[in-house]
Amino acid sequence: MSNQEQSKVSPTEEKDRTSGAKPGLSEISFKPTVLVIDDEKRIRDACQRLLIEEGFDADCAENGEIGLKKIEAAHFDIILLDLMMPGISGFDVLASVKSLHPDTLIIVITGYATIEHSIEAMKKGAFDFLPKPFSPKDLRLVVSKAIEYIRTLQDIATEKSRMRVMINSLGDGVLITDNQKKVALANPAFLKMICCTESDVIGRPISEIIAEAVLLAMIDQALQQASDTFVELTEEFSIPGERKEDELIIGVRCIPFRDRLGRNLGTVTVLHDITTLKKIDQLKSDFVSMVAHEIKSPLNSILMQLKVVMDGLAGDLTEKQKEILFRTSDKIKALTMLSSDLLDLSKIESGLINQEKEEFNIAELVRRQVDFYAEQAKAKSLELTMRETDPSIRIVGNKTNIEEVVSNLITNAIRYTPEGGKIKASVEKDKNYARIQVSDTGFGIPEEDLSRIFDRFYRVKNEKTRFINGTGLGLAIVKSIVEAHQGTITVSSKTDQGSTFSVSLPITSS
Amino acid sequence: MSEKQLVLVVDDDPDLVEAVSMKLESEKFRVNKAYDGVEAMEKIKEERPALVILDVMMPRKNGWVVCDEIKKSDQYKGIIVILLTAVADAVQTTSYTHHDGKTTLADDYIPKPIDLDKLMEIVRDHLGS
Repeated sequence: MSNQEQSKVSPTEEKDRTSGAKPGLSEISFKPTVLVIDDEKRIRDACQRLLIEEGFDADCAENGEIGLKKIEAAHFDIILLDLMMPGISGFDVLASVKSLHPDTLIIVITGYATIEHSIEAMKKGAFDFLPKPFSPKDLRLVVSKAIEYIRTLQDIATEKSRMRVMINSLGDGVLITDNQKKVALANPAFLKMICCTESDVIGRPISEIIAEAVLLAMIDQALQQASDTFVELTEEFSIPGERKEDELIIGVRCIPFRDRLGRNLGTVTVLHDITTLKKIDQLKSDFVSMVAHEIKSPLNSILMQLKVVMDGLAGDLTEKQKEILFRTSDKIKALTMLSSDLLDLSKIESGLINQEKEEFNIAELVRRQVDFYAEQAKAKSLELTMRETDPSIRIVGNKTNIEEVVSNLITNAIRYTPEGGKIKASVEKDKNYARIQVSDTGFGIPEEDLSRIFDRFYRVKNEKTRFINGTGLGLAIVKSIVEAHQGTITVSSKTDQGSTFSVSLPITSS
Repeated sequence: MSEKQLVLVVDDDPDLVEAVSMKLESEKFRVNKAYDGVEAMEKIKEERPALVILDVMMPRKNGWVVCDEIKKSDQYKGIIVILLTAVADAVQTTSYTHHDGKTTLADDYIPKPIDLDKLMEIVRDHLGS
């Protein structure tokens, strides 16, 4: 028995604990008011006493007329209503209460334990019924059920109001639509960003409110997403200002939301003012590209002068001199490469959001890169092969950038694999992603370096890699590109056994 | 061919001009040098070169304009023009459309950083030596 009691108690305890301070608050502020309308004084008094003991605010009325007066004067959470009374009947009181205070819960007390009366009362909107005679336990049970119902409604209302205040006070614009493309919610920041001066937009079609074609198209696209795909759409658009400097750039994210069966219920669109970010980013890119150019041209002319000297055009050289100049030249070539990579990175980063994308066959692209590097691999006695399980996978992306990713991974594999090793490239379908893998039998990456190899300028330095030139930017560029395509890149590696780089990119849903 | 052919090297970087010239001279060409577009036209007028190695980005008069002047002139249009393009990935072609819609066509191009051996190959190809 005690076990059973415990199991009855524990769910409510659990609920209180998990929802933290919230129920405590509502308990303090919420003292339910109950009105007992019954012509039997004995029942009235017994009910009132019990309800007060339970911590309610309880009032009584001995007939329908007095009861209705009290109901008109004050709001009650719960009314215990006798159906059979002299004067106005319980059913009439029920109807009046329903029209006056639709949220008041009515529990009918029925003297005749007839099911017909109870059913009729329930049909007319009573919350529950209590057949006479009833024990204090019966009363407690039915009232606590009603209280729980009221609390739930209150919680929902509180939650709603909390959410409304929160969303309305956000600096980001938020728009929620239903699946008929009607506005369910639009916060002031949203309306301001789309330059809408109307205040009453709820329930209206978005096409009446929004002029920006980019936004409308995104919401369309989000709603058309099949239930097995879930892609957050990102775009940006600009709002012209009176002067050029006043132009705003808005980043948009649009996500569909669904019911349990995966049906699209509507969309959530968030607008974020990215004007300053874009400006700072542009400044940074301009600076990096300026520095890189300024470094690149003198390096080029140094290289050429070295070449002239090394070719013996400025007089004969000793073998030792040639050797030193050759090494100097190599170092300068590495510096030139670094400035090129820096330029690439700044270009990629500044163009991440607005770049031209097209749909293409990813297996074909990888195959071309493998063919391109075949000779270089052969020169180092490396076996470079390609395996594709599904040659028809297509993705949407910037082709040049994806080529850069694949070429980077392959050249890395060539550089970090000793002669006689093997390099395998593969493309396969993994659910909604195309997985491109490049694995080698090379030096591998020590575990302590694994987490940092995508960092800019990070290079694994040990006795094996000392003589390999690199800028430490290649993988940073690769990662930037992959992430700009909503993809992921991972690496697994074992020292002296090799490394495998896996890139996953979302495939085109057909 | 016994007489040495004349090549004009034009770039605003004197070190680059010097290096290219030394390489050309070692390949038995005669070399003239200019350091901007205006000077280049003066040198062409002084003595007609067989080929011009022409930088694109230069002060006073840029390479595209010089190239245009050479190709439009009845007197000079036979001179071969090879462009040095710094932004190699942006200019993968030897043609350039000016703001007035006219197009200039050079004979060849080599991207910077310049591979001197490659440049010599291109020069030899065009001069048939």
